[in-house]
Amino acid sequence: MHDFQVWLVAAIRAHSPVVHIMRSAWGWPIAESLHFLGLCLLVGSIGTFDLRLLGVAKRVPIAAVHRFIPWGLLGFAINITTGLMFLLTEPDQYIYNPSFHFKLLFLTIGGVNASMFYLTSYRQAFGPDATLEAPRRAKVIAAISLCAWVSVIICGRLLTFYRPGECTGHETGLLLTCAPEGDGRGGRGG
Amino acid sequence: MNINPFFVWLESTELSQWVVGSPSLLAFPGILSLHAIGMGFAVGIGVALDLRVLGVGRGVPLAEMRRFVPVLWSGFWVNAVSGVLLLIGYPTKALTNPVFYLKLLLIAIALVLYVKIGRQVFDDTWRTDTTTPEPGVSPRVQRLAIVSLVCWTGAITAGRLLAYTYTRLTASG
Repeated sequence: MHDFQVWLVAAIRAHSPVVHIMRSAWGWPIAESLHFLGLCLLVGSIGTFDLRLLGVAKRVPIAAVHRFIPWGLLGFAINITTGLMFLLTEPDQYIYNPSFHFKLLFLTIGGVNASMFYLTSYRQAFGPDATLEAPRRAKVIAAISLCAWVSVIICGRLLTFYRPGECTGHETGLLLTCAPEGDGRGGRGG
Repeated sequence: MNINPFFVWLESTELSQWVVGSPSLLAFPGILSLHAIGMGFAVGIGVALDLRVLGVGRGVPLAEMRRFVPVLWSGFWVNAVSGVLLLIGYPTKALTNPVFYLKLLLIAIALVLYVKIGRQVFDDTWRTDTTTPEPGVSPRVQRLAIVSLVCWTGAITAGRLLAYTYTRLTASG
């Protein structure tokens, strides 16, 4: 994995198409603002849907609240795009950052968990004999979803406190969490 | 009136120094995380109501959107408290930056609009008379919803720009 990370950072540095935009005066701040807006859309729609499954606004059909989901997916798309722009501009700050590794982990949990909802509870929630009370399975999935997305936000916010420094000696562990020597700029610090 | 001595005093308090200097993850990093989570829920619910007013999810009775009111205010209070803590940590940085006041103004307008829109659409007295259909959304409320969306967007952008537009970090520098 270590070699793969080093290769990935080098590959991104060699081919990154967005560095010029992102290093301009407004590039990074605007991308960050969009990233936060996307976060709000995501929480506002997926979070609202999860709360509905857990029993908030019980009189509203689950399928009706689900109409907000496309707006959450729009927020997610905005955040994947802007997130990639950060990654493609400062690859070492993310690829070697333990907080980023955890962020990807929680994103994966959130994604797999969401597909579990559609695989296991779709019929009960949306079928002709749908009930107002979500099935227990769906409630567990909703609780996991809320935890996963909150964790994604926390890891995102903590990224800046786990910026990788230069590696010292032989590094162990599943993933590299420091910038190896001779890796261009290495840790940017602060 | 010179406000500098106030900044000097505030930055010398133990609370301010804990927020800024403590190595604990619960200090600055934790407060920032809470501020982002509170934002997600407060703005998220606010935007969801605006979108509903503008025609998204028509199957959700507008009056039922009031069930999410406590979620918005919980997010708001998380952010009021975490925001005040961040302000105690870096008072000079925020209070000498006009963008900070713009952010507060936009949040205030967005919250007033949320309450105003709510007053018009959360009312469900029509429910007691099942022969009366749910009243439609007036163009006026829809205009308020659009202004609300602009305010939330502006507040978030202003908040993010705080990291780039400050001229003084602390009272001494």
